[in-house]
Amino acid sequence: MYEAVAAYPAGDSTVSRQARTAADYGYDGCVVRTREAEFDADAISDRYGIDVVGGIEVDAADPESAAGAVGNHRPECPLLLVRGGTDALNRYAVETDRVDVVTRPMAGDGDFNHVLARAAATHNVHVEFHFGPVLRASGGPRVQALQGLRKLRELVEEYDAPFVVSVNADSHRQLRAPRELRAVGEQIGFTADQITAGLEAWGAIVARNRERAADRFIEPGVWRGRYEP
Amino acid sequence: MKHLPKHIRPRWRYLAVAIEAAPDAEIDRGGFQRALWYAAGNLLGDAGSADADLTVFGFAYADGIGEAIVRARREETDAARAAVACIDRVDDQPVGLVVRGVSGTVRACEESYLRGRSPDSTEDSVAFADDQRPAIRRDDVAEISLPEGFVAATELDFH
Repeated sequence: MYEAVAAYPAGDSTVSRQARTAADYGYDGCVVRTREAEFDADAISDRYGIDVVGGIEVDAADPESAAGAVGNHRPECPLLLVRGGTDALNRYAVETDRVDVVTRPMAGDGDFNHVLARAAATHNVHVEFHFGPVLRASGGPRVQALQGLRKLRELVEEYDAPFVVSVNADSHRQLRAPRELRAVGEQIGFTADQITAGLEAWGAIVARNRERAADRFIEPGVWRGRYEP
Repeated sequence: MKHLPKHIRPRWRYLAVAIEAAPDAEIDRGGFQRALWYAAGNLLGDAGSADADLTVFGFAYADGIGEAIVRARREETDAARAAVACIDRVDDQPVGLVVRGVSGTVRACEESYLRGRSPDSTEDSVAFADDQRPAIRRDDVAEISLPEGFVAATELDFH
């Protein structure tokens, strides 16, 4: 199971501190969303026994600038996320094969519907269930976030769209263990298996993208073998 | 009032909760209990919160790390775990919480899951972000004081 976190300078904890806490809580890996974060993934892996993956979360105002950033960053990172939150950005993200995950689709003015869910399934773009407000907000904003999660869950189940689960921790204190997330998920209508699948999906995306970046890879199902020069 | 016969007394489970906060955060048992009740009330509702019957049994906290034992009804441990996960702040101080384990008695809970305090923290100066900065260190972790606030780091970040 993997968790995706923000790190210093975007958050209050460095990558190594997030990774240390995630390893302590039983995660197998930790995806870093912050492009500016400086870290030595191998040193952290050796020390704390956790896979650290440098991802990039594209936070753009409109689809045009998001498209530019996706083109720039796709070759250099094993995990590319696009922050949703408006209808135009959600639509752009789920219809772009090069994007791995659309994050916080229901935040702000963002909304999701059957067309986007179907597109996400077709283009294999994972939709993020953002658990942050469930754990950290209260009152009206939390109710809205729960409503958003429910709508998203119903669409994702109906159209079998791929999904990931994350709490979007800015600091290591905001991280929660997988078992706690399963318990919270069950209280708000998810099944424990859905939460587990959502946390494991991060690892599956990373493994797939690393495989594709390998020298032996030609296209899905085709590898450079002994007959290739 | 006369206590209940043993076979109809409620069955309890005890959750061992590890607490982590900023080194200068002041957290006490009352604040933690209040935060727990609010979290349970908001997540589970009044009815669910009454069913879970959460009570803080043991509480120890100093210098940013602590431990608590939370009692819940036996059938409601999952709800209790969810309520604990939803505690974000205690007395307006951000806290990190994790349930280390669940036991049937307070004693088993302490012996199995709560290991007592880590070594005490020391004030030190470390090299971080191109400068020497004051920091509070414990084990291999440190809270580094920057102009914009504390940054949580580990030894691997010092250079």
